[in-house]
Amino acid sequence: MFDGWRHRFALLTAGATLFLIFAGGMVTSTGSGLAVPDWPLSYGMLMPPMVGGIFYEHGHRLVATTVGVFTLVLAVWTTRREARSGVRRLAWVALLAVVAQGVLGGLTVILLLPTPISVSHACLAQAVFCVMIALAYSTSREWLRAEARESDAAGLRRASTLAVAAVYLQLVLGALMRHLHAGLAIPDFPLALGRLVPPFDSQGVALHFSHRVFALLVLAAVGWAWVCARSTADVRLRRNATLALGLTLLQVVLGASAVLSARAALPTTLHVVNGAAVLGACFLLALRAFHLLQAPAPSAPRSAVLRAA
Amino acid sequence: MPMKSLPQVVVASLALTFAACGGGDSQPAAPPVTQAQAPMAAAAGNGSVSGTISFGGVAPAAEKVKLSADPKCAAMHKDGLERQQIKVTDGGLADVLVLVKTGLSGNYTAPAEPVLLDQKGCDYTPHMLAMMAGQKLKIRNSDDTLHNIHPRPKDNAEFNIGQPRQGMESEKSFEKPEMLIPVGCDVHPWMRAYITVLSHPFFAVTQEDGRFEIKGLPAGEYEIQAIHGKLGLDKAVSGKVSVKDGEAATLDLTLQG
Repeated sequence: MFDGWRHRFALLTAGATLFLIFAGGMVTSTGSGLAVPDWPLSYGMLMPPMVGGIFYEHGHRLVATTVGVFTLVLAVWTTRREARSGVRRLAWVALLAVVAQGVLGGLTVILLLPTPISVSHACLAQAVFCVMIALAYSTSREWLRAEARESDAAGLRRASTLAVAAVYLQLVLGALMRHLHAGLAIPDFPLALGRLVPPFDSQGVALHFSHRVFALLVLAAVGWAWVCARSTADVRLRRNATLALGLTLLQVVLGASAVLSARAALPTTLHVVNGAAVLGACFLLALRAFHLLQAPAPSAPRSAVLRAA
Repeated sequence: MPMKSLPQVVVASLALTFAACGGGDSQPAAPPVTQAQAPMAAAAGNGSVSGTISFGGVAPAAEKVKLSADPKCAAMHKDGLERQQIKVTDGGLADVLVLVKTGLSGNYTAPAEPVLLDQKGCDYTPHMLAMMAGQKLKIRNSDDTLHNIHPRPKDNAEFNIGQPRQGMESEKSFEKPEMLIPVGCDVHPWMRAYITVLSHPFFAVTQEDGRFEIKGLPAGEYEIQAIHGKLGLDKAVSGKVSVKDGEAATLDLTLQG
């Protein structure tokens, strides 16, 4: 049965998670990751003066706490009201993932930003966002309505899954590049150190260039999903795919602006959060494709075709 | 997609996240503090080297620092704060570390007296600080606002400590010699100082007019090096000087911008 308030709350939690990714991005972009040297308190206080880098770091912790509370409420609410065991489990997976994110965040501060933990914190954030999207979609009218399922003759389910994988890998590359300080290893755009292919004389250049090249593969994967979606009759899938493609094109522009602005805080962070939005749009497309479409009917065997002739 | 399989897919994705995202170099563990050998007392001396470090080039204009992020810092600088990392007065360059690079023999014991790094007016005093390996570093917050003190050494253990209250003092030390350790405050990103850790006590930091004096040197032939934090080790210059017992040698050097 459709529970409108719970669905809206799940949407709110997903939206808050996206905002949290923005807040976290601003911490790194402003170099404020260690502006609060202790955890879980901040300078020994629950609420320090929100000055300088503390505004970004402690602000990020406040937003994270809010998302944690929202996720806990959603998990309890879902347990009490949801008939489907899979959705109930998913709500608790979301809560566990948010707690794990909090622990990783604390470890980044206590251990002075070790790269593997900083990168894991960034990557898990994106996965948590996808879980929130799944929770929101699984409580939607669209999911709960029994509909005749169109055949996935164009292969949208496979294409959208590939797009999700490609975007996620690109996010991992981006997180590695950011936390290994390779964001300006190539300071020009669209050329790379004045050439189409730069000399790979440092790890930073190689990593940065990989991120740029993989962006083209992501564009191709999302573009292919869009083409497949255009072949379906379902306008919801077509609109979702168009949104994903539009955000991907915007991501290229934001990536260029991050480089050309010498990693100014706002354009760089917008690039991070839009990356999450691209992932979210592709993930939602994949969920909807699997839910609204069915595998195409297998072709008749050749011998049966010959007998019929 | 059946709802039963969705949580499993999501959990598998999270597991893959951890597997995929552990890349990158891990930060080196803090170097172990080794027990120092009992030092052979080095010969005391009563020679000295003094001189002037000049700046060859055009000093960049001072940067105006935006203090609005912390109202207490803004209140301390009603006319604004100008950050001049290369301070030149009548040709003389301030905040240059001048040290004996070669010519010394023996081991030197770190003094018991700590060196002081103060946070005052939302800036560091001094901007260039030198100390001996194992010597205590006293860090004081003289401001009525929070600071964190975050040096980023390569050979010594990194630390990051908070000082939320005025008058707070903390003590740290660096066990290994290391040049130009940058020190910053992540709350106030314009704050910058450099700490150099040496194995001997023969060093000085130039005054506003570029003058320096290194005392207590035994007689001998020395190479003297001058380093500025902003200009870096690449622009360091050195010169040779001969010190006689009880005499003051002079050496003037020029750092190029």
